Amino acid sequence: MSSQGAVRIRNELAQAWTVAVKDVRVYYLRPGMIMFGFLMPFFMFFSFSVRRELGAAEGLARLLALTVFFTAGAAGPFIIPTERRIGTYDRLLAAPMSLLTLLLGKTAVGAFFAVSVSVVALLAGLAFFGSAIAQPGLLAAGILLGAFSFSTLGLAFGSIPTTNPGDVQMPSTLLRWGLLFISGVFIPLSQMSPAAQAVAYLSPLTYAQDLMNHAVLGSGLIRPWLDLAVLLLSGVLFLWPSLWLHQRARILGR
Amino acid sequence: MTHAIQVDNLTKIYGRPGSGALAVDHVSFEVHRGEVFGFLGPNGAGKTTTQRMLTTLLEPSEGRIVIDGHDLAHDAYPAKRQIGLVPEESNVYPELAAWDNLLFTASLYRVPRRERPERARQLLEAFGLWEKRGVKAENFSKGMRRRLSIAMAIIHKPALLFLDEPTPGLDPQSARAIQGLIRQLNADGTTVFLTTHQIEEANQLCDRVAIINHGRIATVDTPERLKRTFQRVQSVELALEPDGQAHGEALGRLPGVTTSVKMGDKWRLYTEDPPALLPRIMDYAGSHGLRVVSLNTLAPSLEDAYLEITGGQVGAIRHEALEDKPRRREMGGRA
Repeated sequence: MSSQGAVRIRNELAQAWTVAVKDVRVYYLRPGMIMFGFLMPFFMFFSFSVRRELGAAEGLARLLALTVFFTAGAAGPFIIPTERRIGTYDRLLAAPMSLLTLLLGKTAVGAFFAVSVSVVALLAGLAFFGSAIAQPGLLAAGILLGAFSFSTLGLAFGSIPTTNPGDVQMPSTLLRWGLLFISGVFIPLSQMSPAAQAVAYLSPLTYAQDLMNHAVLGSGLIRPWLDLAVLLLSGVLFLWPSLWLHQRARILGR
Repeated sequence: MTHAIQVDNLTKIYGRPGSGALAVDHVSFEVHRGEVFGFLGPNGAGKTTTQRMLTTLLEPSEGRIVIDGHDLAHDAYPAKRQIGLVPEESNVYPELAAWDNLLFTASLYRVPRRERPERARQLLEAFGLWEKRGVKAENFSKGMRRRLSIAMAIIHKPALLFLDEPTPGLDPQSARAIQGLIRQLNADGTTVFLTTHQIEEANQLCDRVAIINHGRIATVDTPERLKRTFQRVQSVELALEPDGQAHGEALGRLPGVTTSVKMGDKWRLYTEDPPALLPRIMDYAGSHGLRVVSLNTLAPSLEDAYLEITGGQVGAIRHEALEDKPRRREMGGRA
């Protein structure tokens, strides 16, 4: 690689970091982020777990999967339409960096948020359930790759050209609920019918939950490397609709 | 010689080709290095669409844009490094302080880390915001936000600055301050592409002006030459005492007058030959026992030139003025 190319890559990475840090400062404490990102996973967890027979480790694995899933996907649908509305998104689009760099910066915002809230959930879970972590390395990898995958999923919704976050937050939440209920979060994969299992494998949350089961319980139904690979691949694939929607907006002028 | 901007056959159609809305229609022009180039037209003329294509925010349907020798279709990255953009809405981050807004932009444009604080300080001082550097932009007035927005657009010292309607909505003092800043930036070597619908602003700031309407450029020329081209929209402005609505029709019938327009307590008479009209006005006043309180010949404004070149009528703009100020009335027009 030429030195010019290396400088360009270094610059683009620094720009993605700049975008991410700015978003963290500006948006993390906004009500939309707190509601859809911080409170939602805990609401969902308590709604479907209280008064049910749930082991400590199983409860912690479920809480972590829900936290990563909801928190990572909250940033894109809130931040990008908000920035489009106040005009600051044009500043980013006009800056000398690639669209992919911008999207990676925005992905990092959701991912950081998910990792931060997951640490809170982990500490709360450890205190509440008194469970131990069977494979800490797998837990870290699962949180990071889950955060990446679900953040790019949220970004795809945020890339829909609108200036009103509500226009994309609701459909984004509906899709995530759909993915939640077909996944092996509330009904373990091993207890599902073959048809239900086939559907569950379509949801990346299934692999995140299985990975959390490996990390916390010490066992899961799918091989851990496959869980990790699916999360990584889905994260990359979810970037494609974002790129397409941005290019489409550039053509349509929205 | 490489132009700062070279545009060939630029076209934008919103929607599907064939059934979409044509916003910019095969526009071609060049912007020379170091000039202030005005892009002038009414709302919906295609100004902002053109500017958004020039700044890579919109993809052209057809045509070619070259910025500083770089074709935007194939080589946008180096062109973007040369560009500063101030959109119509001041796009500052309301939640961040002025200082943080500037440092963020400096980082985004990869200004060397050690230079960022010094550049931010210089700009805040130059733009009269140093005392407010720690205040969140959400607490700024519209004029302060505008100044901060311009400071953010030039912190990386762009060779080419795009300004979209920089002064509408500002109080006169802020507008004059912004215009002064634009002149200073240009004097320091920055090429400025100014999009505006304010003819007087273009007149005061621009070296050359392109007049665009319905997506097409009507002409590109200096403001002075544009004015001279349209001598027939020169005018004489007078105030009579006692004033009355009846004067309008009578003044409009004086030989050589094409249109008479009431403007506050004055009458404006459009004519191709102001000197010849003056004695006729004095005769009219004398024969009706009126006192001429004031009498001025006015050079044709760019506003009138714009209306003339785009096929509008001088009186048409008075109707717009009427909507804003009900006291003004058009009387006895014969245009």
